[in-house]
Amino acid sequence: MGEARLALSVSEEDVLRANLYRLLASSLCAGPSRRDLDVFADMHGDDTPIGQAVSAITRVAAKTSPEEVSREYHDLFIGVGRGELVPYGSYYLTGFLHEKPLARLRNDMSRLGIERSGDVSEPEDHIAALCEMMAGLIVGDFGEALDLDEQKRFFQAHIGSWAKHFFTDLEGARSSVFYACIGQLGAAFMDVEDQAFLMV
Amino acid sequence: MAKGSERVAAGRRNFLKLAGVSAVTGTAAVAAGSVAAEAAEPVEGAAGYQETEHVKTYYKLAAF
Repeated sequence: MGEARLALSVSEEDVLRANLYRLLASSLCAGPSRRDLDVFADMHGDDTPIGQAVSAITRVAAKTSPEEVSREYHDLFIGVGRGELVPYGSYYLTGFLHEKPLARLRNDMSRLGIERSGDVSEPEDHIAALCEMMAGLIVGDFGEALDLDEQKRFFQAHIGSWAKHFFTDLEGARSSVFYACIGQLGAAFMDVEDQAFLMV
Repeated sequence: MAKGSERVAAGRRNFLKLAGVSAVTGTAAVAAGSVAAEAAEPVEGAAGYQETEHVKTYYKLAAF
């Protein structure tokens, strides 16, 4: 994992950003395990929008079961034929999968030395994959940690343009309970990322 | 780094701190782990065709 190779130049705040991206990635890649839920139930949020969302996740995680969350995940993203939401950048930006936004992402991925893991068959512009890439680029999982200018370019090109809409949809989705809180956290975090990158 | 950009970076870090990014620390971050992406690992020094994971996946998918 990234921790061992963590470059000294990565600031504490940036490590914390990577943590948030990783939490979103792991929750959106599949339903969390019992152990994940236990860890989530142990977090502490403050009174910022991000902190409030974290508190909401904490409350739900303490009450729900992996089975319930995995059913929710299925209804939201897999469904019979199709889930309630389609969590891909290309779909949000163009209405279709495998469109130009995915091609542009693949170009940037190869430039940055990232590739899709062999056992994954979903397109790379899945929200969980993008959150994981962002975390890895921040702390240097794929080589050198990216400087803020490059992070900003990647964020604005592939995440900033649609992820807030997706997280807001997730927050309001019919099948959402645990994932409503993940949506709330994602939306709040995307606002913060947007504003913080304006300072770069 | 120039003085000005240092100040900007400090302002940004301060903003992030106040925005509550510190909510997810320690074990929660570890639990989140790694899921779908990995670093590309080309063979050192070799030029031309390389059978990377990406290529292998392509072959696997193309074979139906």
